[in-house]
Amino acid sequence: KLNIGVDTIQHGVEGLTYLLTESSKLMISEIDFQDSIHVLGFSDELNKLLLHLYLDNRKEIRSILSELTPKLPSYHSLEWRLDVQASSLASRSLRQQIKPAVTIKLHLNQNEDQTAQVLQTDPSTLLHLIQQLEQALGEMKTNHCRRIVRNMK
Amino acid sequence: ILDDPDLKDIDPTVLKHCHAAAATCILEAGKQKADISAISTCLEDCKLDKERIEQFCTEYQVFKSILTYLRRSPLHITDVSWRLEYQIKSNQLHKTYQPSYLVTLNVENSDSGSHPDVSFSCTMEQLQDLVGKLKDAAKSLERATQM
Repeated sequence: KLNIGVDTIQHGVEGLTYLLTESSKLMISEIDFQDSIHVLGFSDELNKLLLHLYLDNRKEIRSILSELTPKLPSYHSLEWRLDVQASSLASRSLRQQIKPAVTIKLHLNQNEDQTAQVLQTDPSTLLHLIQQLEQALGEMKTNHCRRIVRNMK
Repeated sequence: ILDDPDLKDIDPTVLKHCHAAAATCILEAGKQKADISAISTCLEDCKLDKERIEQFCTEYQVFKSILTYLRRSPLHITDVSWRLEYQIKSNQLHKTYQPSYLVTLNVENSDSGSHPDVSFSCTMEQLQDLVGKLKDAAKSLERATQM
């Protein structure tokens, strides 16, 4: 319909893709973007169109690019269950020991696959886990971390 | 077993008893973590002939691995380590500026002892979700033990 050769269109699409991906990756400002494409010698109207295209799609392109960075499995969710271990198969001891335990099913995501791992812990370790992880959460609120975040930006 | 053509001449009740006896024997041996010589000795005491004992032991080996699998308990969490990171850049994406937590759960296998730890990354919100759920479990545990 456009009456142009296939090669030209392919180059056009590739060029456009490269422009938008690089700009999004570097998160360049509006002004920098405009300056960059100015050298290409397009009309003002086209330049404005390109700028809009960049700004509208930047967020989505960046979220797609973030999928490409090296990653560890990430947390998805967690289910838990209280168990009482009366006696194990291996022991036939005369006294029945009641041992409370918490069984956890940890759901993780790794590159589009979801894994579920079943883990178990005892009450005192559970409290230790909570205490340690609450400490971790508290770190973001400390002055030290706040300063770093402020200075980075 | 009841459909097996070789056994059709035997009274079904007797067959059921035999089956139950064999199953019980295997399970008990598994529970006791008995080795072959112990089983042989036991069967000798029951006045079974050598050929039968050998056959039983061979079959038992097959079940032993299944029983070991059943006896396996889930991985036990012993400790946790965490790391707070602030990501600034990757080769795919610049200026990311995102904090993230790296959590490692140290786990132990009751049978073999060591096991690779479970590690994962999460955002602050996800960690809050995780801690919230663990706290629910702890509260539930407390209520249960008070009953």
